[in-house]
Amino acid sequence: MSSHAMPHIGQVPDSSPGIETPAATILLIEDEPVTRTSMAARLTRLGYRVLEAENGCVGLEVARRERPDLLIVDWMMPEMDGLTFCDAIRRDPQLKSSQILLMTAHDAPAQIAEGLVRGADDFLSKSSSKQEIIARVLAGLRTSRLVRKLETTGEELKSSMLLLEKKQAETEADLQTAAAFVQSLLPLPGSPVHGITLAWEYQPSLTLGGDLFDVMTIDADHLGLYILDASGHGVAAALRSASLMTFLRAENMLQLLGSYDPATVLFEANRRFPLSADGDYFTLWVGQLHLPTGSLSYASAGHPGALLSSAEDPSRWLTTASFPLGFDPSARFTCDRVSLKPADRLFLLSDGIYEVPSPSGELWGRDRFRETIDAGKQTSLSATIASCFAAARGWQQAQHFPDDAAVVGIELTDCREDTSNG
Amino acid sequence: MDKTAVLDLSEALNRADGDQDFFVTLATLFLQESSKDAAAVRAALERQDRTGLAAAAHKLKGSVMEMCAPRLFECTKRLEELGQQGKFAEASPVCADVETRLAEVHVALRDVIAGGFPS
Repeated sequence: MSSHAMPHIGQVPDSSPGIETPAATILLIEDEPVTRTSMAARLTRLGYRVLEAENGCVGLEVARRERPDLLIVDWMMPEMDGLTFCDAIRRDPQLKSSQILLMTAHDAPAQIAEGLVRGADDFLSKSSSKQEIIARVLAGLRTSRLVRKLETTGEELKSSMLLLEKKQAETEADLQTAAAFVQSLLPLPGSPVHGITLAWEYQPSLTLGGDLFDVMTIDADHLGLYILDASGHGVAAALRSASLMTFLRAENMLQLLGSYDPATVLFEANRRFPLSADGDYFTLWVGQLHLPTGSLSYASAGHPGALLSSAEDPSRWLTTASFPLGFDPSARFTCDRVSLKPADRLFLLSDGIYEVPSPSGELWGRDRFRETIDAGKQTSLSATIASCFAAARGWQQAQHFPDDAAVVGIELTDCREDTSNG
Repeated sequence: MDKTAVLDLSEALNRADGDQDFFVTLATLFLQESSKDAAAVRAALERQDRTGLAAAAHKLKGSVMEMCAPRLFECTKRLEELGQQGKFAEASPVCADVETRLAEVHVALRDVIAGGFPS
């Protein structure tokens, strides 16, 4: 026998029952030429493509080159015996799932166990009958096909996963860009006008949030402010919110309505932003602060409202009962008024900040939010807002909120001409 | 199988799936290889090579099984065991037996090759 493997191409399958895969390739590794020739001929007659090798070393080369469907290996061989061959196959990343039939005269349990431990899948006695050889070869090939199918499926899954991850990364990058854009629409903290301090904190539940807000100069005497909440989360909600935000720009309102009167703004927004076909809608709280007097007019469309935190008086909610936008095209909205004094703080908030459940399911709630605001009267506006987020996170024992969470605060820091006119 | 028989031709032919021509091919190969294997057995015994004796006897045993030569098979099997145990003194007469039985098998096979299978 030469040191080269000798392939014997299988013949057309005969009529023997049970032959499943004529094209299957079997590598027969046996040092004894008569046994090898006999077994190879038998397998060839059964319709398989048979490759031969005279020892484990040569067999390993052939296996790596040909990736046979089944390996039939003699236990005792020079150069590399069957057990060492099994070890090598199981260590080889490309071949480790190969099916190995170990040919042996050993039938002691300890030896069989050793063969299994070293990597054999089944055993074949050299004195086996033709029927037994066929049965074991078929079983080995059946397993081989299943394993390869699993491997192929695994590879396909891996490849799909990589593609998916790439797409996801692209989508994530797009979302980050969109989020940066939305973020750029939000007002800059600081002092939007003389006498007013603005601070806010916003944590969308997803990359893009549906809760948006603005604090803007309407004219020399008026500051406009609103907070909106689009039903749902994610890209669709953010896009709808951005659309409403564009509509609510001061110059648009002044051009369209001639003023930033909250009730008028809500009326027009309600007309222009009907309930979507999917049932999506907005809630919106709009306010207009007359800077010289501190008079705040406000109206709400289904929004949970704002909280007025007075330096001297107990804080109170500024809410009005009404439908969200889009439910009734002819709806009218009530405008209420309240007077703000120096050092007063007004907080606009989304329900996502207080509708956070504890691990036991209890919501943090509006009362605890208000208590936190009241407790922060002596701290800076931004610190008070930060303490709300910290308290809410502590309550839910999680960093991320289940819904978009936003708190916007303004503080009157300068005396106006006459704060007693209200 | 009759363990005293030189060859069980019927079984041997059965192992060749009834293909007489193929059996002749195998028998011819056996005549070549078994002589080399027997020589390797003898050489291993003479140098008292325990592993070599067991391996050579094992290899010869494998080919003998294909030829369905029961008496020779039993001798080679015994010789392999003695080799594994390193019992060279006991192995010596068994090795002689193997050579004798192998010669008998060779004669029988040559008869088949020359004269064909008995009907």
